[in-house]
Amino acid sequence: MRLRREVPHTLAGAYALDALTEPDRVRFERHLAGCEACRQEAGSLREAAGRLAAVSAVAPPPRVRERVLAEAARTRQQPPVTVDAPAGPGAGRRATSWRAPRMAVAIAGGCILVALVLGGLFIHTQQRLSLEQAHNRAIATILNAPDATIRSARAVTGGSATVVMSHRDHALVLTTAMLPALPVGQRYQVWLMGPRRTRAAGMLPAPHRGMTAPVVVAGVAPGDMVGLTVEPAGGSAVPSSVPVLMLVLPS
Amino acid sequence: MTEGQPAARPGPAPGRDLAPLLARVARGDQAAFAAVYDHAVAQVFGLVRRVVRDPAQSEEVTQEVMLEVWRTASRFDPHRGSAAAWLMTMAHRRAVDRVRSGLAAAQREARAAVAVTDYDVVAEEVETRLDAQRVRRCLDSLTELQRESVTLAYYGGYTYREVAGLLGVAVGTVKTRMRDGLIRLRDCLGEGS
Repeated sequence: MRLRREVPHTLAGAYALDALTEPDRVRFERHLAGCEACRQEAGSLREAAGRLAAVSAVAPPPRVRERVLAEAARTRQQPPVTVDAPAGPGAGRRATSWRAPRMAVAIAGGCILVALVLGGLFIHTQQRLSLEQAHNRAIATILNAPDATIRSARAVTGGSATVVMSHRDHALVLTTAMLPALPVGQRYQVWLMGPRRTRAAGMLPAPHRGMTAPVVVAGVAPGDMVGLTVEPAGGSAVPSSVPVLMLVLPS
Repeated sequence: MTEGQPAARPGPAPGRDLAPLLARVARGDQAAFAAVYDHAVAQVFGLVRRVVRDPAQSEEVTQEVMLEVWRTASRFDPHRGSAAAWLMTMAHRRAVDRVRSGLAAAQREARAAVAVTDYDVVAEEVETRLDAQRVRRCLDSLTELQRESVTLAYYGGYTYREVAGLLGVAVGTVKTRMRDGLIRLRDCLGEGS
């Protein structure tokens, strides 16, 4: 019953009704990306599905309106998607409501440095050392970017992930703490989940005292979220399970 | 709709005028956002409540949806579909996410029995009522299996595999009925109406 062996466009109805499981949805959206006619059909079925809401329309209590309008007044809006993401200091993107003070970035940087040192204990060869140096430089670049921002999320299974991200560099550094240990043969895999597609972004290294050494993820696009799934140790091309953690990135 | 909000009354049928309003919302116009809220919130809240069931959680999800509209209005692209569909897609996805996240697991079993027949309309706006009548008439034009597949997924928040289990039919049959049912619904509702 795997999607890739089916005629995918038969799933257009289930897709428009949000009735696909997460892995099916990811695969179907990949199919849509390469099929204009399917996008047309899926769009028209979405329009039809949206009309079903008319049948159950009912006004919420007035307090919802008050809360929403008050919250909107102090919530920064996302900028429009532009074709060429500016490589400037990102002045127009600053000060989203969750933006952490620089002290928090510094603390996270400190945690990542501790993890770096732990990671460094396992370096043996000169070649690995130079790879590690390039890795460390990449991390330092992101941590010191003028638009570096930090964000954390908890995994549904326990544990958490922390990200420091720079739009200027289209890159982020990811560490995790206290994620549940996995059976032999399974690893945590990192994904960039965008509005259009999901990309594999590497495997988490084995944890050391509950923490994983920092992973650098490049090619981060606006609207991406970071997801973590449990996969076979060799990694998967597309997520094969529901993410244990989703982290919304700054826009 | 709340009392004392003349900005959006008498409003057109939900969605008809939303695109230009959204363009203003994208530029930070809070009055336009209030108008979008007044246009759309009854459909959003009604749908969310139907899927999620729990009133407190439904209010929470409705707030999340409307704030997402505020935050992401600049991402709405009129070339890719109507404003109403954009907004209701957000609402339905958030409601379904809430249900599947397990937060609303306790309510899940209770939903199955009422999901199909629960057509109560408490909307105040005449246009919405007319729209609801048209939708109901079109739903009635589907075969029973098409209608049950579509409504269990949309109002119940079930996956197509779960729907197949609930109806006791093959997964492939449910997929086909969902697509055929929506195509018939789309054609019955007509282009742009």
